[in-house]
Amino acid sequence: MASSWCWNCLSRLRLTPQALAPSATPRISNAPFHSTALRYANPVKKKNTTLNVQKHRVSASIKKKKKKPEQRSSGGGGRAMSPAERRALKKRIVLSNPNALEIESMVDLSAETMVDSRLRGTVLGLPMPMIDQLRAVEAFKPKQGWSVFRRPGTVLRRDTIEMGRLIEQISGEGDKPQKGKVVKKIVNGMKGSGKSVHLLQAMAMAFLKKWVVITVPDARDLVCANTAYTAVEGTKPLQYIQPNAVSALLVRTVEANRDLLAKLKVSQKHPSLPMLQPGSTLEDLAKLGFNDPAISWAVFQAFWAELTASAPAAGLEKGFVARPPMLVTVDGLAHWMAESEYRDVDYNKIHAHDLYFVKHFLSLLKEGDSLKNGGLLLYATSLSNNPNPLALKIAMDRLAAHQAGISANSPEYPNPAAYSGVDERVLEFLKPAEKAASPLELQILDGITRDEARGFFEYFARSGLVRDAITEQWVGERWSLSGGGIIGELEKLGRRFRAASA
Amino acid sequence: MTPRLNLFTARAASALRQSTTPALASRSIASPARFRAIQPIQCRWNSSRDGSKKVEPQPDEQNFPTSDQLPDVSEEANEISRIMDKEKRCDGVPSTPELDQGSPVEEILSRDKQAMKHMPKVMQDELKKSGKRSFSTSARSRMPEVDGVVPNADGPSAEAAAALAEMIKQAQSPVVEENPGLKFDEPVVPQNVKTLNYRNRYDTLQEQFTKLMMMDGKLTKAQKNMGIILEHLRTSSPPQMNPRRPLLDAPPASQMPLDPVNYLTVVVDSVAPLFRIRQQKGIAGGGAAVQIPMPLNLRQRRRTAIRWIIDGSAKRRDTSFSRRVAAEIVAVAEGRSGVWEKRDQQHKIGISGRANLSTPMRR
Repeated sequence: MASSWCWNCLSRLRLTPQALAPSATPRISNAPFHSTALRYANPVKKKNTTLNVQKHRVSASIKKKKKKPEQRSSGGGGRAMSPAERRALKKRIVLSNPNALEIESMVDLSAETMVDSRLRGTVLGLPMPMIDQLRAVEAFKPKQGWSVFRRPGTVLRRDTIEMGRLIEQISGEGDKPQKGKVVKKIVNGMKGSGKSVHLLQAMAMAFLKKWVVITVPDARDLVCANTAYTAVEGTKPLQYIQPNAVSALLVRTVEANRDLLAKLKVSQKHPSLPMLQPGSTLEDLAKLGFNDPAISWAVFQAFWAELTASAPAAGLEKGFVARPPMLVTVDGLAHWMAESEYRDVDYNKIHAHDLYFVKHFLSLLKEGDSLKNGGLLLYATSLSNNPNPLALKIAMDRLAAHQAGISANSPEYPNPAAYSGVDERVLEFLKPAEKAASPLELQILDGITRDEARGFFEYFARSGLVRDAITEQWVGERWSLSGGGIIGELEKLGRRFRAASA
Repeated sequence: MTPRLNLFTARAASALRQSTTPALASRSIASPARFRAIQPIQCRWNSSRDGSKKVEPQPDEQNFPTSDQLPDVSEEANEISRIMDKEKRCDGVPSTPELDQGSPVEEILSRDKQAMKHMPKVMQDELKKSGKRSFSTSARSRMPEVDGVVPNADGPSAEAAAALAEMIKQAQSPVVEENPGLKFDEPVVPQNVKTLNYRNRYDTLQEQFTKLMMMDGKLTKAQKNMGIILEHLRTSSPPQMNPRRPLLDAPPASQMPLDPVNYLTVVVDSVAPLFRIRQQKGIAGGGAAVQIPMPLNLRQRRRTAIRWIIDGSAKRRDTSFSRRVAAEIVAVAEGRSGVWEKRDQQHKIGISGRANLSTPMRR
């Protein structure tokens, strides 16, 4: 085709400057719009030229694609568990097995049966209406074997009956009433010896006697740096409060003691809580701290002052009811006897005794009537996830020595080894007091006796879980295997699947 | 007194000795008592102990690595002298058994007039007084009629003494009977409790199932999984039985969760196939395989069923392996599982392949 340009015109055409001519490649300018796609577009793929291009120094063997191995992390094609699901499964507490046989003549724990020494060695069922209260205070632990029986029950062992009598005394009943007495105990014992269940039994008895029950189900939760903490200004050394943990404590306490707290009216003045309506109950007071962590510590202090009040303040006498005794339990005490996982501004570890929450509950163990209306303090150690602080061990040895009548000057009195780096703060705190009105005691839980073990296994047999004849010899074998009646081991032996004999 | 069995054998053997058969002669008493006494030790305690094939080990077949086959010199000399002595005699009194069992001195003396003259005075007096031979106290004391009875042949009050003896016996007897040298009752060791051995502490099927679940040799993990499975069977609701898929020897459904090991056993045994199918090539010709049913023993049947159950569980959606297997076991019990179809298929092929059983399978 002929060009529309004529020769003349072409000859007149001059070379234009480089800048004005459109370049062959797309021009990338500083234009703010629509340049990105161009810039970051994938480079054009090369054609597959394996046939043409000879690769040198590469082995020429055929590469077979490897088959991906089957996902066998959990043995097959299940979906992975989400962390929340896993946690829920770990914390799940099952209290009933509908397949287990119902025991006809099972006696419930009650104010009469809890001190009846004739029932020693039998398994007493926990009253069904109380189960929700016990669940609220987190008395049941996931690894305890409640899930194989029809309904939860506990063995009435010697320590239980003694504790029942003590609770009866403090309530002002029984043979030797001592109303208003405060008993402080550290419960220790081997793993599986029933420390947590001992606390559970104490809670059940306290609920029966209409006490206020306040629990710390796992002491570790307060020192493992999982809940928020804020420093309190003006304290020296710097102290910290854990508002969310306090809220949770209030929720727990109100849930479990609702009936009782709804009847008790506020009887003290609380200037720090201006929103508190006059004439409200303790339940209303505690509810203030449920959702507002900012004031939860103040609410707790007010709540505690109300529970330990022995007389109403001036002007608030109307409708004052005497406060009931209290049961305070802590499980896993060892975590509070070391440095916590929290850090201060200098990134040093905060000692557990510098946390207000911890300090409050530990201060109850100190000499004096920490509970004005009487009550029982049970602080148990736990051997699962145990930080095992040396100071606590020595302190408990000292308590035992003090109970055995060994004086602090005697050479048998336990002392830390030189340069052992023991926590002096803890040792000082738990030092046994001379001539105390309500001394700190150490209670050791041992194995149960053979007779009690027999009652325990009869409970298994009646539930249809053990099919052998429960004889002296049979029980004796298991009692020996369990290290002398350690009840956690007995329970494992009872539910274990073994070949049928003969 | 020690039993004199050897004397009878000696007599019997002396008759045998006249036989000329060397084999019989070799069995004679010429073999020392030492060997005869230890024969039970030689007995092999194997599984086929009873039966007619039991062979008495010959005395001259004894092979001790540390002992000679022949008796030692003194024994041999004794043996020879005894035989020589006996041949000289003709009264038939057996020769000295001192070597074998030890005779009372009186017995020896009774044979030897010369020695009787020189025997101690005490013994002479004894012989004169009673007119009976004395007895070895050690041997007599073991005899039951002597034990506890005061021998009192003569005396003014024989009846009183007898009554006294009776009283003593009565006083002593319960003690002797109840506690023969033991403070408490003798412990009774159970004879056939197989669980006494720690290796057999679990049920056979439970153990087989556990080991088939094991991966990478992690037995403890498999055992833990088995624990979760049994716990699931124990706590989950009783299976709703399908009448088309009946379980063998099953207790009522409501009772099954109470015995989870039995539950598991019933389920596995119910879906276990009776045979496997062997694909035999080269019989039919043309490259086609012939399907021949081969019978399985109990353990093999169970193994197949367990493999099917574990494979069937892989398709489930539960999160953990143990939960999947447990759910599959419950599904089998309720007749919902695909394992039943597998078993039906296997049996169908087997029934159609029965005709092939007549073909010679030996190679």
